[in-house]
Amino acid sequence: MSHTEHSTLIRETMADWIRNAWDYSLMWVTCKVFGLAVAIFASLMIKRRMSHDNGIAATGTVRILDNPNIPLHRFFLPDRTFPCRIRHATATFLDDAVKGIRSMSIKFSDHHLESPFDLQMNTGEKSLFWSAASFLQFARMRKQQYGVQYREYYRKYPDGLDGAIEAIRENPKSFSDLRYYAKTPFRFVGEDFIPRYAKYRVIPGEPKTEETGKLKNPDPREIPNQRVAAHNPRGRNYLKYEYRDRVKKGPVHYLLQIQLRNAATDDKPEIFNNMLPWNEDLYPWHDLAEIEITETLNWNESCRTTFSLTHMPESLGIIPARSIFDYNSLNYMRAQSAVAHKARLLNYRLFGYPPEIPDNDNRNWSDWEKPPRILNRTYLVQKKN
Amino acid sequence: MSGKPPSPRQDPYAKYGGYDNVQRIYRECIESTKPVPSGNRGVLKPKLKGFHHLDIAYSKMVTATPALILDWLYETYDRVRDQINQWAMDLFPRYPKIWGPKEKDSVIVGRTTYASREDLGTPLHHMRVEIWARTWWLSWRRLAKGFSDHDGNFRLKYDLRTARSVAVRKIRAEVSQKYYRYSKTGQLSPCYCIALAIPIPKSDLVGMQYNLRDIQIDIWSYRPDSPIPRVKIDDLQDEAPEKYVEGRDDAITDQFIPVELIKLRHVVQLRAHPDSLTIDQIQRDYPPNLTTCLEKRLPGYTRSDMFFGERMMNGMHALTFQPFANAQTKRKAEHYQDVDPDHLYHVVNWGYQGYDHNDIYAFPTTEMVFEIQPGDFVPRPLSITFTGALSAFDRDPYQERTFFPTDGKKWMQAKRVARCVGGLISEVDDHFARTHVNVEQYAIAAFRNLRLNPIASLLLPHLKEVSLVDHTADRLLISQEFGYLPRASALTEKGLHQRVRDTLGMLNWKDYEPMRVVNDHHHYAKAETLFWKITEQYIEEFMGENAAGIRMHWAEIYRMSQDLVTHSVPDFNHHHHLHGLEGHDKEVKARCMSYFEHRFEHKTHTHREHHDGECRALSPITRQANFADLDDQAKTEDWENLKELCCYAIHHATFLHSWVNEHQHDDIGEVLYCSLGIRFGEHPDGVLRPESDHKIALDPLRATQMLWWSNLLSRTEYGAITKNPDGDVNPRFGELLQEHAEEFERYGISVDNIESRTNI
Ligand SMILES: [Fe+2]
Repeated sequence: MSHTEHSTLIRETMADWIRNAWDYSLMWVTCKVFGLAVAIFASLMIKRRMSHDNGIAATGTVRILDNPNIPLHRFFLPDRTFPCRIRHATATFLDDAVKGIRSMSIKFSDHHLESPFDLQMNTGEKSLFWSAASFLQFARMRKQQYGVQYREYYRKYPDGLDGAIEAIRENPKSFSDLRYYAKTPFRFVGEDFIPRYAKYRVIPGEPKTEETGKLKNPDPREIPNQRVAAHNPRGRNYLKYEYRDRVKKGPVHYLLQIQLRNAATDDKPEIFNNMLPWNEDLYPWHDLAEIEITETLNWNESCRTTFSLTHMPESLGIIPARSIFDYNSLNYMRAQSAVAHKARLLNYRLFGYPPEIPDNDNRNWSDWEKPPRILNRTYLVQKKN
Repeated sequence: MSGKPPSPRQDPYAKYGGYDNVQRIYRECIESTKPVPSGNRGVLKPKLKGFHHLDIAYSKMVTATPALILDWLYETYDRVRDQINQWAMDLFPRYPKIWGPKEKDSVIVGRTTYASREDLGTPLHHMRVEIWARTWWLSWRRLAKGFSDHDGNFRLKYDLRTARSVAVRKIRAEVSQKYYRYSKTGQLSPCYCIALAIPIPKSDLVGMQYNLRDIQIDIWSYRPDSPIPRVKIDDLQDEAPEKYVEGRDDAITDQFIPVELIKLRHVVQLRAHPDSLTIDQIQRDYPPNLTTCLEKRLPGYTRSDMFFGERMMNGMHALTFQPFANAQTKRKAEHYQDVDPDHLYHVVNWGYQGYDHNDIYAFPTTEMVFEIQPGDFVPRPLSITFTGALSAFDRDPYQERTFFPTDGKKWMQAKRVARCVGGLISEVDDHFARTHVNVEQYAIAAFRNLRLNPIASLLLPHLKEVSLVDHTADRLLISQEFGYLPRASALTEKGLHQRVRDTLGMLNWKDYEPMRVVNDHHHYAKAETLFWKITEQYIEEFMGENAAGIRMHWAEIYRMSQDLVTHSVPDFNHHHHLHGLEGHDKEVKARCMSYFEHRFEHKTHTHREHHDGECRALSPITRQANFADLDDQAKTEDWENLKELCCYAIHHATFLHSWVNEHQHDDIGEVLYCSLGIRFGEHPDGVLRPESDHKIALDPLRATQMLWWSNLLSRTEYGAITKNPDGDVNPRFGELLQEHAEEFERYGISVDNIESRTNI
């Protein structure tokens, strides 16, 4: 190598190092500031989650299956059983009947916060955003009014629109028949120490159960309109009631599945992109665990039950990100929400829980009916029977 | 010019000093009446505010000293600003390099469409789209480039990290039209003209796809309110799809201000004292033209039969002579007993019948019979028949009167009326309809569709600016309120529109042939044939060299063909135009059609297509968007079609227009010799009166306007093919013309006067 080539290499390495340091610092600051802002302005002041306030939690057990297709991992040891909590929710609206994204979160413990393993999943194989930067745009462009939102976002980002079409469920029959995907991959280092990436999903215990609520012939221009359709007889809490009744009748079963791929140094960043599902022929889904839900929890406990991406063993944790444009920055940002969880739980303790969603005709609402102030302990809402 | 004596019987040139003397003086007069650029521009010289500010009354001129100083200051400011922009471009050049790593991770998508109501959502294909970033220190970084596809969609890959770099201050998308230019060495290079630039907020770029959605560009739309295909131009200054090149306006300023000032003085004087100017005074104030020059040196010659025949054959009129045997006429060969029937030719100039007209000016249908002997002989007029009103006392539109050379003074007067009718017909049918509006329909279809196809570089230089000049002509020439023709001729604005529409209904690129050469003296037809052959050779060479590219982007040809056919007027000759007409009306309409048919040598049997239930005037070029999908026969045919269309469009925009435009000054540059309108006057003989009766001539205001007009058209030329001042015409075309310069010279044409486009 000649002298000039050598100095060019040094210069380029230095420049790259500076750029990376800048990118990482920017991500660190952005995500911290974002977490703190959510903690102060949403959780602490108005006791809100980021989006999934309208939900129902339940408890049961999770049993790891003995599946030879999954490399042995010390956390997912065959037949290992955990008590578990799950929480189903409808995103952003306090109304189950809107056309919206539904979610399922799992916690491998029967505690409202602490757990060795949490997962947060939404309907749809694709997401509506793909990086911290994209998520910030998504949040900035929500502009919700009367049940219509993300109009500008969908117009600018066709992939976001595709994701929405994929993920929105209209009038599903039950939370229990939907499929939920944790779209951004996680790390998976098993007993063989081969680095792998993992994606998780949950399907009904009886895999042939038909998924209800998928959009048929969607009109892209209508996607921002998530309002309850005219003459829709379903109430504001119909999915929660249905789920409560279902669990009362007998246990509800789910299957937790995992998709794995080997990590390589020449992997393209696109494999981490939550908008691009992995090819199922190459990376098939394997049954990882059985979930059995036996009891639903009341509203206050449902509010209190909180999930975090930091609740994972290190060998299953999130994949490090380099910048806010990195697809893994999404999980990095989610992992900064611990402070927000604490702030919300603190608010509950100091000022009480938010009111249960009433069965009234205030449809398509995204906020609590009485704007809560930091000091109001109780909400003046009629007690439900 | 003139050939030998028309018949051996007697030498009519004898009284003018012989044929050679006439020819010498003719040449000298042509030379001496050529335009001389004034070229004396200065701060305090009057200024014209551009071509589209001309008016038949008061053109927008700057004449007052304070205004001139202000204008100079503004121009200086403009120049300084341009200079600064130039420096800025030199200082911060736009390098072609695309920034970022080879593998781009993100995409900007969108679609280019037309903007007008009528074209809403119609894709604008093959537009160039580029993404540029500007740094804090003002340098440019190109992030992506590409073209919109056949449906207007584009996908430009860019590197997100480069776009979101801290160095970048602003990002914008630029949509441009592609043009071509030739270097002095004949090298073709593309150039781009920005049609629209859209800012993209830097923070909006977060990876994956970013959608610019429909980018609506307001260019090259069809006018929704016109039955003929015209370009929509709301405001010539700011909202036209193209602009005149700078040299065009400079040429007007250089050459036309003296004429403009004469007219301005006349208009002001006539408004104040209507009787203070006579036709003779007005004529004297303008520079001499061919006929005044000749008349001064050879008194009586310009009113002679020889000169009449000469100009009808080789002047602005350039009539299409029909062999008498084929002509549909009531006249019989027996009327011309001393003439060989094979040498008899017949011409009709259709007048006002069937067209909306006023009752001030005469515009009778004129039938002329000529003897044209084989060899170098000028046509000899034998009879002139008028159909229609000749005086204010008898307005029967179907009355007929025939005049013969033996009629003495009446024959002289009939020739003047025939010249005037011919003048108006040349102006409306040949000049405005055939070379302006007709070329405009090719221009709009070409500019809307040709971008990546090499045919763009062939056709566009010849089709530019015609839409602009036509837009000006709508006001200056056609408009009932402001235009010249409705005030100074028999046709109203409505009549002019009807006439233009009918003319277009008879014109088609397919099966066009240059005018048939009648005898050796038919210089016009010979020159046209020569030019046509040169153009054919030029196009043949060009299409041979660029065959692959033309086939690759055949879709553009297909779309151009569709635009041409669907927007063209209904074929005028189609039988349904006669449907429902009875008796006399049917006969008149049929005769009118026959006039157009012969004038433009319309081919009835050419294949045409129906659109919206009507047979269209223009034939399609091809029926497939993909050249490979054509069968072998269609491949050959459609390829030939394209050649034919290019040849036709170029031929009309260049040679035909130059001819009729340039000869205006020669043939309508003397009020009493020939004007576009001749008034009925107040005498029972109507228009059949001597030149001394100024009541039938144009009134002084129209007279000065007509002289102004003929000077404007013939004396402000710019953009000859051989000179190629804008560098956009393939130099090969100029070379081919130069090779035949001598032959053109024999026909009285200087190749350096053939303009590359219809722009005046
Ligand atoms: Fe013209």
